[in-house]
Amino acid sequence: MSTAAGPLVGRRILIVEDEYLIAEAMEEWLSGAGAKVVGPVPSVEQAFELIEEPEKVLDGAVLDVNLGRGETAYPVADRLNERGVPYLFATGDVRIIDDPGHRKRLRLEKPLSRQQLVREVERLVSGSPAHPD
Amino acid sequence: MPDFDKMMQRQQVLADFGELALRSSDLDRILAEACRLVGEALGTGRAKILEIVHAERQLLVRAGVGWDPGIIGFLRMPMEERTSETFAIEAGEPVISRDIAAEDRFDVPRFMKEAGVVALVNVPVFLPGGRAYGLLQVDDTRPRDFGQDEIQFLRTYSTLLGPVIDRLLLARALRSTEERFRLTVEAALDYAILLSDPQDRITDWLPGAQAVFGWTAEEAVGQPVAITFTPEDRASGQDRWETETARKEGVAPNVRWHLRKDGQRVFIEGSTRALRTPDGKLLGFLKIGQDVTERRAAEDRLRESEERFRQFGEASSDLIWVRDAETLQFEYLSPAFEAIYGEAREAVLSGDTLQRWADLIHPDDRERALSMIHRVRAGERAMSAFRIIRPSDGEIRWIENTDFPLYDSTGRVQRVAGLAKDVTEARMSAARLEVLVNELQHRSRNLLGVIASVASKTLGEEGAAADFQARLRALSRAQGLLSRYGSNIAEVGALVRAELAAHTEVHPPKVAVSGPQVLLTARQVQNFSLALHELTTNAVKYGALRDGKGQLSVTWTAERIGEGERLLTLDWIESGVDLQPEKVTRRGYGRQLIEKALSYALRARTEFVLGEDGVRCRIQLPLE
Repeated sequence: MSTAAGPLVGRRILIVEDEYLIAEAMEEWLSGAGAKVVGPVPSVEQAFELIEEPEKVLDGAVLDVNLGRGETAYPVADRLNERGVPYLFATGDVRIIDDPGHRKRLRLEKPLSRQQLVREVERLVSGSPAHPD
Repeated sequence: MPDFDKMMQRQQVLADFGELALRSSDLDRILAEACRLVGEALGTGRAKILEIVHAERQLLVRAGVGWDPGIIGFLRMPMEERTSETFAIEAGEPVISRDIAAEDRFDVPRFMKEAGVVALVNVPVFLPGGRAYGLLQVDDTRPRDFGQDEIQFLRTYSTLLGPVIDRLLLARALRSTEERFRLTVEAALDYAILLSDPQDRITDWLPGAQAVFGWTAEEAVGQPVAITFTPEDRASGQDRWETETARKEGVAPNVRWHLRKDGQRVFIEGSTRALRTPDGKLLGFLKIGQDVTERRAAEDRLRESEERFRQFGEASSDLIWVRDAETLQFEYLSPAFEAIYGEAREAVLSGDTLQRWADLIHPDDRERALSMIHRVRAGERAMSAFRIIRPSDGEIRWIENTDFPLYDSTGRVQRVAGLAKDVTEARMSAARLEVLVNELQHRSRNLLGVIASVASKTLGEEGAAADFQARLRALSRAQGLLSRYGSNIAEVGALVRAELAAHTEVHPPKVAVSGPQVLLTARQVQNFSLALHELTTNAVKYGALRDGKGQLSVTWTAERIGEGERLLTLDWIESGVDLQPEKVTRRGYGRQLIEKALSYALRARTEFVLGEDGVRCRIQLPLE
C-alpha cells in the first residue's frame, strides 16, 4: 500500500485515540501512506511521553477528543501548539464544542475513511518541511 | 401608815424606772428591770412582759422575774380568743382574776397553771398611736385581790412603758436600717457609687467606685469627678453638662465610656442625681453607675453573630429553617421560603406552624415528611424529598430536604433544622435524560441490526462475512446487556453466560462458570465482550466446546490492589482438548483482539497460552 513518493513519506504522525480498533485502523492507513506513526496511545499521559522524546520531532498529530473517563485530548493539543506541531481532531462527538481555545482546528467526524484521513493529514503537514530522520 | 408607805414606794418605783429608761438604750435590760420593780412593788415577786408577734398571732414571753429562764425569751403562746391575755388586749384595760379556779371569762395558759399561778392581773401595753405592744402580767400563787390603787399604779406603769419601748424599737430599727444600707452600698462592687460637692469635687468614694475605676478613696476624694471622664468628654464639657442637667432637672443620665486609673476604658450605665436639703439647698451630687463593659461586648458579639446568621439566611436561595425541638414550631424561616413554597412566610409563621407547613405538603407525602421531622428530633440526620402543592399557582413541586438536629451544651436535641430546595427541574431533567439514554441504546442496537442486514445482503453469509456477522452480534449482545442494567454498566457473569449461550448447547458439568458480581463500564464492556467472543468462537471451532469432549472453566475474582483500586482477574481454562495448534494460531485477528485491544485502552494484562490440552487465558482488568 505504500505510496513511496507521497507527501506523508517519512513524516512522524502522532495518533491519540482510546479505542483500539479505530487506533489500529488509523495506524494502518497512515503507515500505508508512508507515514511513521508515533503511538498510537490512548491517554494524555502517554501522549505527553511521546511528545517529550527529544529525538522524535513530530510533523503532525491526529487527536481523538474524548479519551474516556472524562479525559479530553485538549491538554495534548495545547502542548503541540507550544511546539508548533500541526494537528487535527478526529471525534465521534457531535455536541457543540465548548472549548473556545480549540474551536478553530480542523475537526474530522467519525466514522473516518482511509481517503479522508490520509488527505487531511497530508494537507496538515504540507506547509512544513519534513524533519530529517 | 402602810398605804402611804406603799404609795411612796410605788412613786419611787416609777421614778427609778423613768430614770433607767432615760439612761439605757438596751430594751431587754429595761423590760427585765420593769418586771423586777413591779414584782417588788406589788409583793408578788413575779411579773412578766408578753410581746405580740403580729405575723404569727402569738405572744412571746419577752421579759420576766420569778419565772424559769427557759421560759423567758422563748415561750410563745397562741393568741387565742379565750385566753386572759387576748381578753385584756381587746378590753384595752387591766383585767384582774382573783382566783383562776373561779374564772369563767377566759382560760389561763397551762404553763401558768402548772407554775402554780392562782391570781393574776393583765395590763395591756400600748405604743404611742394606740397600737398594742403586749401585756404586763403580774401573778401570784395565792388567791389575792388587787386593790384599786394597785391597778392605778399598774396602769400608770404601763402607760410609761409604751413610749419607752417605742423609742427603743425605733432606734433599733433605724440602727439596723443604717447598717443594712452601709453593708449594701459597700458590697455593691459592680456599681461605682460616689458623692461630690456642689462644685463636683469627690467627697465620698465607695468601694464599688474603687473596684470600677481603680483609684482608692484617698486618691479620689478631693479630685473633680471629671477625672473619670474620657479626654474627649472632658473637652466637650460632658461632665459639666451632667451636673448642670442634674441641678436643673434633678437627674442626668450617665451612659458612656469612662476612664480608669490605668487608662483603660469602662462603659458605665448610670445617672447623676442632685442631692438637696428639704428646703432645696444643693448639697452635691450622687453618681451611681454600673460597669457594663463586658455585657456590652457580649451583646455586641451576640448581635454580630445574630446579624451574620440573618445575612446568611436572607441571602441563601436555599430555604433555611429552624424549629424548636420541644414544640416543633418554627423559630426561623428564611425568605427563600416564599420563592420555594409559593406562600408568604407570615402564613406559616402564625398559629400551629408545624400544621401550617404540613398543610402545604402533598397528602401522599405528608406523613413521610412529618415522620422525618420526628426522626431528626430523635437525633437522626435525614435526607428526603417530598412534593408540595404550591399555593401561588397550584403546581406540584418536588422539595429536597437535608434535616439535622442541633444540640445544646448538655447534648440534648434543642432544635431541629434543615435546608430545602426545589428540585423539580433537576428531577425532570434526570427523567428526560433517562428517556434519552434508553432511546439512544435502542437506536444503537437497531443500527447494529441494520448493519448486520446490509452486510448479509452485500457480502453473503459465508467465510469472512460469517465471522463479521458473529462479531457484530457479540457487540449487539453487549449493548443489550448495557441497556438491561438501565445505564452504562454490565455485569461480568451476564456477559460470559450470554456469549456462551449464543454459541453452544454445552452445559455443566462440561462448562463451569463462576465468580462474584462485578460491574464493568460501557467502555470496558465493548472490548471485554469482543475478547470473550473470540475465546468462545475459538473454543467452539477448535477447543473445549468443539464436540463436547473437552471441559471449559471460566472463573473470576475481584480484589483490592491498592488505594481505591480493584482488579478483575478472569481465568478461561480449557482442558481435554485434542489441540490443533496450526489452526488456532491462524486466527490472528481474534487473538489480536484478546491480547491487544484490552491492554491498549483498558490497561488490562492478558496472557494467552496454548497448553497441552487446551487454551488457557488470563485477563486482568483494573476496575473503574
